[in-house]
Amino acid sequence: MSYTSYSKKKNNIALIDCNSFYVSCERLFNPKIINKPVVVLSNNDGCVISRSVEAKKIGIKMGEPYFKVKDLVKKNDIHIFSSNYALYGDISRRVMKIIKEFSDKIEIYSIDEAFINLSFVENQRLNEYGKEIRERILKWTGVPTSIGIANTKTLSKVANYLAKKNKSGVIVLDKDKDIDEELKKFNVSNIWGVGKQLSKLYIKNDIDTAYKLKNISNTWVKRNTNVLGARTVMELRGISCINLETTESKRKSCCVSRSFGKKVENVEKLKESITTHCLSAAEKIRGDNQVARSVTVSIRTSPFDRYREYYSNSITIDLPVGTNNSIELIKAAIEGLKIIYKYGFFYQKSGITLSNLKDARNEEFNLLAPLLETKSKSLMRAIDKTNAKYGRSSISIAQAGINNSWKMRRKHFSKIDTSSFANLPMLKV
Amino acid sequence: MKLTIPFYLHKVGAGFPSPATDYIEDDLDLNTHLISNAPATFIIRVQGKSMRDVGIYDGDLLIVDKSINPKSFSTVIANVNEELVVKTFIKEKEISYLTSGSKNTIDKINLGENQEVIIWGVVTYVIHKLQ
Repeated sequence: MSYTSYSKKKNNIALIDCNSFYVSCERLFNPKIINKPVVVLSNNDGCVISRSVEAKKIGIKMGEPYFKVKDLVKKNDIHIFSSNYALYGDISRRVMKIIKEFSDKIEIYSIDEAFINLSFVENQRLNEYGKEIRERILKWTGVPTSIGIANTKTLSKVANYLAKKNKSGVIVLDKDKDIDEELKKFNVSNIWGVGKQLSKLYIKNDIDTAYKLKNISNTWVKRNTNVLGARTVMELRGISCINLETTESKRKSCCVSRSFGKKVENVEKLKESITTHCLSAAEKIRGDNQVARSVTVSIRTSPFDRYREYYSNSITIDLPVGTNNSIELIKAAIEGLKIIYKYGFFYQKSGITLSNLKDARNEEFNLLAPLLETKSKSLMRAIDKTNAKYGRSSISIAQAGINNSWKMRRKHFSKIDTSSFANLPMLKV
Repeated sequence: MKLTIPFYLHKVGAGFPSPATDYIEDDLDLNTHLISNAPATFIIRVQGKSMRDVGIYDGDLLIVDKSINPKSFSTVIANVNEELVVKTFIKEKEISYLTSGSKNTIDKINLGENQEVIIWGVVTYVIHKLQ
């Protein structure tokens, strides 16, 4: 039985995905690494998180720990970069701004992906429209993209997958015949929203392609999967069930954590790291005009250390009033740290989470310290402004330490920050 | 890069409004003056003295717009031999090429078909500190 004959309301969704995004950002001011194998590592130079096409061909796998690929890197002259999130964040904001000019119905799905609604574009013009978006992003920011366009989010993901392999970079899947042909070749485990468990179940029942899943009976789906599974099936049939989440929902919590470059035993060093995490988390929530009601501190040793005992603990401190004042948040976090810190362990990671976030404007009036509040508010604003002008962490507080031996490893850092006068790209003439 | 949102300074109060209110709308905003297309505009710092002819000095900031196409004698950022450099773009009839400085046209780099690949962006302003 076929389910393709549903009457469909015209709905066109495009998924725009930046190709090897972090690598593309590094290439923007560094033409030497264009057309060469390039890899970007995660925080603390841990794992591979972005690869150029050339690096993929050499056999570098996504998520692989750096030490495992070091030999391949040396042998093939692969260019390595530590992640530079200040740069990637700025380029991402630019890409999203450009996309918004093409459709104001946008869901920013991740740092390098966005869904947009293109229902207002005539079907025969979709391909051309997609190419226009692609060319503009490429010319204005240097970032190549792949664009998949179809009736539903799930199908646009399929189209995007195909666009990555297509030279033009744009694929429109709008004809039933074409869709079916592609779905027959599409592995069920690659479908958006089909996780490991679900794909195991499908494959066990001989549903190994997207086409087979699309044509499965409704009763089978109901009996064997959940709402999400059923939605995916409907979406494969071209019936839109997953809406664009266009309202930019503010974050509900803000987490900053880092592994240390060198293991840390001393409580003073842990305090420094916790303070630094608080400073950057506080700056983030101030940027969103939010306040936090709770601070969670967590510390742990390495779970892979065979010779030492493992210790991991965390504690949540509730604050009397919501605040985004760095100093208040640090005070609470340090109190928490003192409670969970145990002497004699070699700590590998520390983190803080600001949670119970509220809109600063809605936070009820604080009877205790209205005067203090405005004073510290202008201090916080001055800090944020200075750091934006002179580079991150120009103004800090003494507790954060100056020479941080625990700071993360960033051996291959490109240093460029297009959003800070202190680290602008340089050009020798 | 931040663009500030213009705001109105005049407070509503008792009495007749200041006659200047109609004329004061917001602070001068250099961002809007210097940057016409924010998502495509990058600020690049220059190091070196070889572009003094065109008025670009050591330490100057270049405002570079990637979205516009160069006109003849535009100052551009170009990708030459895998390096970003500042050049003058010149177009004569069908042929376009790059030179260093506006007077010196000996070291021509012909662009041919590769213009899109080689031209990185067009320099729209130079910020030069005098003291």
